[in-house]
Amino acid sequence: METGAATESCIRLTMSHQNHPSKRMLRFLQWFCPPALVEGIEGDLLEAFEYDLKEVGAKRARLRFIWSVLRFFRLEIILRNRFSIQFINTIMWGNYFKVATRNMAKRKLYSFINAIGLSIGIAFCVLIYLYVEDEKSFDQFHHNKDQIYRLNESSYSVWAAQRGEDPMHKSAYLPLPLGTAMKDEIPEIKYLTRFNDGATAIFRYEDKVFTERITFVESDFFKMFSFPILAGSADQLFKDKHEIVLTPEIATKYFGKDDPMGKIITLDLQGEKQFTVTGLIEAPPSNSSLSFKILVSTENQFSYERNREQWGNFSYPTFIQLHQNANLTDLKQKADKLIEQKMGDRLERWRKDGNIPEGYPVFELTYTNLADIHLDTEVSWEKVSDPKYSWILGGIALLIILIASINYISLALTTSASRKIEVGIRKVVGAQKKQLVSQFGMESMVLAFVSLLIGLSLAFLFLPAFNEFTGKGIVMGDTNLIRLIGVAFTTAMVVGLIAGSYPALFLSGFLPAAVLKGGFTSKLSAGFTKPLVVFQFFLSASMIICSVIMNRQMEFVATKDLGFDHEQVLVIPTQTGWNEEADKVVEQFRNKLNTETSVVHVAGTSSSFNQGWSRYGYKIKEENKSAYVYRVDPAYAGLLNLEFIDGRNFDESIASDSTGIIINEALARDMGWKNPLDEYLNWREDSVGLGSKVIGVVKDYHFLSLERDIEPMFLSMDKKNTGYLTTMLVKLSPGEISDKLERVKKAWTELYPDKPFDYTFMDQDVANQYQTYKRWMKITSLSTSFAIFIACLGLFGLAGINAINRTKEIGIRKVMGAELSNIFVMLNKQYIWLAIIAFALAAPVSWYVMNKWLGSFKYAIPMSWELFAVSMLTGLVLALLTVSYHAIKAALINPAETLKYE
Amino acid sequence: MGKEYLGEFEELVLTMVGILGEEAYGNAIVQEIKERLGREANLSAVHVTLYRLEDKGHVKSRMGGASSTRGGRRKRIFTITNAGVAMLKVMKEARTDLWKLVPQLKVVSV
Repeated sequence: METGAATESCIRLTMSHQNHPSKRMLRFLQWFCPPALVEGIEGDLLEAFEYDLKEVGAKRARLRFIWSVLRFFRLEIILRNRFSIQFINTIMWGNYFKVATRNMAKRKLYSFINAIGLSIGIAFCVLIYLYVEDEKSFDQFHHNKDQIYRLNESSYSVWAAQRGEDPMHKSAYLPLPLGTAMKDEIPEIKYLTRFNDGATAIFRYEDKVFTERITFVESDFFKMFSFPILAGSADQLFKDKHEIVLTPEIATKYFGKDDPMGKIITLDLQGEKQFTVTGLIEAPPSNSSLSFKILVSTENQFSYERNREQWGNFSYPTFIQLHQNANLTDLKQKADKLIEQKMGDRLERWRKDGNIPEGYPVFELTYTNLADIHLDTEVSWEKVSDPKYSWILGGIALLIILIASINYISLALTTSASRKIEVGIRKVVGAQKKQLVSQFGMESMVLAFVSLLIGLSLAFLFLPAFNEFTGKGIVMGDTNLIRLIGVAFTTAMVVGLIAGSYPALFLSGFLPAAVLKGGFTSKLSAGFTKPLVVFQFFLSASMIICSVIMNRQMEFVATKDLGFDHEQVLVIPTQTGWNEEADKVVEQFRNKLNTETSVVHVAGTSSSFNQGWSRYGYKIKEENKSAYVYRVDPAYAGLLNLEFIDGRNFDESIASDSTGIIINEALARDMGWKNPLDEYLNWREDSVGLGSKVIGVVKDYHFLSLERDIEPMFLSMDKKNTGYLTTMLVKLSPGEISDKLERVKKAWTELYPDKPFDYTFMDQDVANQYQTYKRWMKITSLSTSFAIFIACLGLFGLAGINAINRTKEIGIRKVMGAELSNIFVMLNKQYIWLAIIAFALAAPVSWYVMNKWLGSFKYAIPMSWELFAVSMLTGLVLALLTVSYHAIKAALINPAETLKYE
Repeated sequence: MGKEYLGEFEELVLTMVGILGEEAYGNAIVQEIKERLGREANLSAVHVTLYRLEDKGHVKSRMGGASSTRGGRRKRIFTITNAGVAMLKVMKEARTDLWKLVPQLKVVSV
């Protein structure tokens, strides 16, 4: 080596840069050439180079040199390397394995801590892999998925623009005639179907009557999508308007074991109609963006006939399938032309009416490929999911793996004292550093694979709970099982390598002379453990703070006074459809329950909380305004216990009240009214009249979720313009609910024996607004507990080692008169410091993250210092509890026991 | 397996080692082959052959003194062993014997 270095400088002196052979090639030669031969070969090569330099010039000499080196890269040379070192290694592996298992068996507690931590980490990784795979697998099972697109409209939203958000609003709902025109006039489109989900209808077969979810599609649906048809023919379905296709679940529900084909059932879709079952279709899997139970032709949809010419009614999601070789860009151009031709005048008018600035399109058609629907968060669609959740889950898995790896590293380092002698002996009898590294590497590998097995079984065990948390239906099938094991295997390998490498390098670095002489003191030996523990504490502390804040916010949401009374209220749909009948049902039911003492109020409304809303936009003095509108009856305000700050409630006996409105404070503020009772709200932009007279003002209440501000709203009794009382609210007297509910149900069945009694509780509806948040809070809480558990295990192990390492010190201190409490404090002081440092680091990070999370609520708890203090205390107490066991145990030992051997 | 056998190139390199005596190393052999036979031998081929001969025990090698001309690297000097000389002899005799069996025809130009 030394001669090499000398000669290189020599070369540098004697040759100019150009006359230098390629150093890289020399290094390459040194790399592959056996050490015994390299000098002779190098010398010959350099000699030839110098000769060439004189004969053919620098450039060609350099090229020849490179070529000559390359020609030495041949098997006859490479195989002359001695591979005997590796041969010895394989012989030693049996021994390494034996020592590894013995070591694990000897220190059961530490092996347990390490294995549990790693296996939980691996289990999380596996589950999250399943989650991500499931997200990616959405709608992939359709054979024609590359040709199928969902049409979206992108339009300018005045409201969004007013709020300063991105004004282009995307939606999948399109006018009915647009689809028809596209299919007729654009040759690229092979199939087209509308897909309207979410309607309900009363389904009747003989004595079985239930409300069912109905999905409206067209005949092309069966040819486009790959949901298997179990009975009937895909080409023939929906030729007739009165056909119905069922999933097996529904068929069994109504017909039992009978063959459903050809059965005639009754559906109440704006009046009872008879349908014949002509097909059975397999229920969509959980990873399908399109879900349905009962399929009926779109033609049966409410006001289908009228909407066929309505270019302004956006209520039909539309899917198209292109011909195999058709081009989407061509289709786009043709569609844009078609829209211009059919809707051009209308769009101009909308631009003028809506004050849409030039430069923004009024209406634009966009296309989402079927496979992309699930992750397209811009368009709201059932089951659509934000890819950021995959990232959050992945991050959590990474954190847990990290914490577990740190456990392994710090435990391995601190227990290293007991391995010192082994390392020394191995080195003395001739082990090379490389061999020791592979020995300790192997130990971590053995551990990683034990954890792999436990982790996989944990993943199987947790899967049902995980499905519930994430709202998924993942099954561990044989298709993903192999890949799954692959993922677990890779995780184990990577963790084993990463967590094992540092201790392996550290342990193999001991000098045999130093360790075998003995007399080493053993404190927390590696300086590296402290930063690791701080980092681990930091991760746990951040997670604690986040979950405390999330829990507080959810508690706040659940208990906040919303300004109305939502306890003991049943929400019952009138099952009539959008018509006059609805109002009658409310009246009849109110009269029926009049004598019922357990019922306090019965009121009607157009929609209850979290069941949709309607919003009207109107222009007042050239200014765009909007308000939420609820059709109610006079009992509504009383039932919800709304507080009137001005004016009065509706009165059935005052005729003019039918056009009067009750507004909320937000509306009064929005209009800038000093005396609202003197005002009229011209929300229908009536050019003759003044508009609706304000008869009352209610205190603001949260008719929307707490994610939103309280926006302008009014209540109206005007059935012509604000709709019908399709929902009934029934307020029960305080106390036990079940028998009261039974009585209400009985009253219903007496009145309407052929209509199902469906109900929800208003407080649950209100709570359901925050379901996603709750789900994520649960996931964070759960993973926080796991992370803390693993971190505590690690800390427990560390504290134990530390106490053992210091037994003699403790003995001497006790002999010198130290109290138990002194020793307790002495042993725990360092952990408290580590914890405090970690919290100081965690506070700003979690503050930032939680600030973002709380930002999605308009009504959020303030992030006060108490929250951080509470989290910190929780963390400290947990850490102290963990380390105290060993501290107390160490402090209680009789000094005679520990010192007698000195 | 019968007697050991040398390939043509092996025999050539071995002979060159014998000819060059104390100055037999990779480059010198390449040069020698070029000068005497006008044949371009590849350095790596020569090296590989030398190592093979060494394995068979026909040559042995040692490191020579350093010189400034080779970037300070020492030469690996090869010397022919008794076994190598014997081998060359056997090869030569075998060839001569065979040659004798060939009818002594004149080379006739066509």
